[in-house]
Amino acid sequence: MIHRRTILIGTGALTLAIACAPAAFAKAANGKPAPAFSALDSAGMERTLAEFKGRNVVLEWTNHDCPFVRKHYGAGAMQTLQKEAIGAGTVWLSIISSGPGQQGFVSGSEADALTTKRNASPTAVLLDSTGRVGKAYGAKTTPHMFIINTQGVLVYQGGIDDRPSANPADLAKATNYVRAALGDIAAGRSVAVAYSAPYGCSVKYAA
Amino acid sequence: MTRSPLRVFFFVVFALMFAGAANGQAVRTENVEAQLHASHSGIMAGERVTVVLRLKMREGWHTYWRNAGDSGEATEISWELPPGFQAGPIQWPIPHSVPIGPITSYGFEGEILLPVELQAPANLASGDLVISASAHWLVCSHVCIPEEALLHLPLRGGESRIDPIWAPRIAQTLAALPHALQTPARLTRNADGTARLTVSVPQWQGKKLRTLYFFPYARDQIDHAAAQAFRVKGGEFSLTLQPQPNGLLGTESISGVLSAEVESPKGKRDEAVEITAQLGDALAPAAASAPASGGQALGLGGAMLFAFLGGLILNIMPCVFPVLSIKALSFATTPATEARRHGIFFLAGVMVTFLALAGLLIGLQAAGAAIGWGFQLQQPLVVAGLALVFFTLGLNLLGAFEIGSSLQGIGSGVAARPGGLGAFATGALAVVAASPCTAPFMGGALGFAATQPPVISMGVFAALGLGFAAPFTLLSFAPALRRLLPKPGAWMARFKELLAFPMLATAIYLAWVLMQQSGANAVLALLSAMLAVGFWVWAWGVSRRSVTRFAAGAISLGVLGAAVYGLVPGSAPARSEQAALAAPAHQGAAAWSSAAVDAARQEGKVVLVNFTAAWCVTCKVNEALVFSRSEVAATLQDQKVAYFVGDWTSQDPLIKAELSRHGRQGVPLYVLYRPGVPEPEILPQQLSAEGLIGAIRKT
Repeated sequence: MIHRRTILIGTGALTLAIACAPAAFAKAANGKPAPAFSALDSAGMERTLAEFKGRNVVLEWTNHDCPFVRKHYGAGAMQTLQKEAIGAGTVWLSIISSGPGQQGFVSGSEADALTTKRNASPTAVLLDSTGRVGKAYGAKTTPHMFIINTQGVLVYQGGIDDRPSANPADLAKATNYVRAALGDIAAGRSVAVAYSAPYGCSVKYAA
Repeated sequence: MTRSPLRVFFFVVFALMFAGAANGQAVRTENVEAQLHASHSGIMAGERVTVVLRLKMREGWHTYWRNAGDSGEATEISWELPPGFQAGPIQWPIPHSVPIGPITSYGFEGEILLPVELQAPANLASGDLVISASAHWLVCSHVCIPEEALLHLPLRGGESRIDPIWAPRIAQTLAALPHALQTPARLTRNADGTARLTVSVPQWQGKKLRTLYFFPYARDQIDHAAAQAFRVKGGEFSLTLQPQPNGLLGTESISGVLSAEVESPKGKRDEAVEITAQLGDALAPAAASAPASGGQALGLGGAMLFAFLGGLILNIMPCVFPVLSIKALSFATTPATEARRHGIFFLAGVMVTFLALAGLLIGLQAAGAAIGWGFQLQQPLVVAGLALVFFTLGLNLLGAFEIGSSLQGIGSGVAARPGGLGAFATGALAVVAASPCTAPFMGGALGFAATQPPVISMGVFAALGLGFAAPFTLLSFAPALRRLLPKPGAWMARFKELLAFPMLATAIYLAWVLMQQSGANAVLALLSAMLAVGFWVWAWGVSRRSVTRFAAGAISLGVLGAAVYGLVPGSAPARSEQAALAAPAHQGAAAWSSAAVDAARQEGKVVLVNFTAAWCVTCKVNEALVFSRSEVAATLQDQKVAYFVGDWTSQDPLIKAELSRHGRQGVPLYVLYRPGVPEPEILPQQLSAEGLIGAIRKT
């Protein structure tokens, strides 16, 4: 056990040394321009952040088999939030950073089937199997949420709400930070809770 | 019947008894084995005891600490307690960092005990109680699965009674918990947003720390994945913590657990303190304060002490007491030197037997899962063998035959001077005789031994043996004590005969157990074996002629052989599929086979499979409370459900393979296949009639 622990910590430190090299696992900072990216969507089209300039953009890291994601989709909470956001003119990008063979990795058609089956309505589902976009934003968990304002500045990052659990019963008691932040933006206020610790499953980056 | 094979048989029998006993009911989910244990088996009014939730994770899987870190979710327990009882929060053990790619979580691998303090109300009446807990955890390897279990722990109310196995293990767990640090800790914010944690930990002064890591209680303060550079200066330790993007770090106090891998002459070990660091200037290097304390050596010592006490208690168990008391009474007329010699040989007999058993257990365990721990007590052959032993001892005490000086030295009367070998054999026999009276207790001992390195488990067994042998050995060395023994006389013969009855009662109990396991045919086989033994004993006694003795022996062996044949699982229909299916709970069921299930599914039927075993308490409860209900039977019939029963009472590699396929290692397992759905649904082990009917109707 003791040895194991040393190894764990050692590996942790090593992983960190590699992962925290700026290019590999940058951290997007609130108040700064959001990192630019381009990725293929489920239809095979190349999408960029730049094409949505002038609109508010929500980034949602997802993995349909993660119990935390299932909590939000199973109860319809995520879909409701998507519809509200889209209805208000916000762009919603669901991003899948699972590597090939990892949990949550899907083809474009599978991603579309999931969208239909779950009655979801994202603007696009981006397939980030290399993890390039995820690492540029420092996406850690599914779900992990980011909001970029009309000026292309990152204004929210963190968990979807304040109940870090996989239990659907907690949804009723939760304060949804994304809904609150979008409300602040719509009202022209600065985002009150601009950061929260993300929670969920780890993003299943390619090994 | 020569002695040494008999002894070998005793060893095996007892080893298996050790292995089988259960400690309440463990629940196995896909990835975790969960069970409640307590420091006490009995609780009195107003008393506080510790209950632990034991989680044993599948290799490569982990559950989470109170702050799960970047991903995951802490294990939760909600209690359902008898009126007036109160349960405290989980007292979290020292966590480990679990790095997964670029993120880090805090959790536990292998097996952990999560202790909770339980307090009984002041007006607790005596009677049986059940503590129930619904435990919920997220278990992850590279993927995560939320799991839960409803667990129960029986307790005796109204009297304080320590559990000799779990008390020391729990004491060890509590001793290893992070304790609040009394000296101050400081957090100082640096210009770059990082923060420096400085702390003086008296117990680590002068020790070499290989690692130092701070686990925060809050999720949103430090970057969990970042390295924490640490420095040691004098008695002061300092760590540099990296912030989360929210920039909270260094603007408020921080609480958590500071954990170190400490090197000491006794080896490396994890130690931790709970700290709250207030904002302020870094601590100045303090002058060395109190020297480091001895720490937690109490763990093994405590375990051995309890094992010793447990051994003492074994002496008055109804199965052991007769053997020992007669031996002890014979001391009244034994010369001092002879008595001492007997004492030493008795001690040797007990210790050798205990340690041989311990060695056997460790060896079997090392041999791996091939044995399948936990089911041995349910081996009908083992139970029958023990019943036979007790029956034979009963006959012996009644005077039906004399073993002379060979086994116990009681047959030849008080004047006899059996050799040292006799005393040695008495020790060995006493250890074997103790087994049925102490099975649950010994199961715990095995549980403890299973989690310890061999040296420690040997130590615990040795302590148990010493405690067991202590009263008799002391008596043999203390003439003053021996003078207190009643004077021998004709009453002793009566007393000896009287003591036969507890032995025979034990045999009856074991026969009853056997009937539960293997049915009436097995009991018939056992009784026939007893008849054979009785006949042989009688023939041996009445005739001195070797021809007669040989003939009687041959007849007895024949009957015995037939009886054993009848008991061996699979060799005779002691308990067959048909027997299992005849039970009322299994009306309309067919015997399980994967081919039969496939055929029924191809017909488009809903398929329900019930994997069960006679010795599985949960299975029997479900069958009594759920499957036997008329609504359930009606639903099965209405919905034209193809219902199959897989009976795992005896070993069956096909059923074992099927269980493994569903990620299970034991029964019960309820599998529901719906037409057109490739993956079956696994129903909960704690089944309700409503739940089962609902699941079937949903199809």
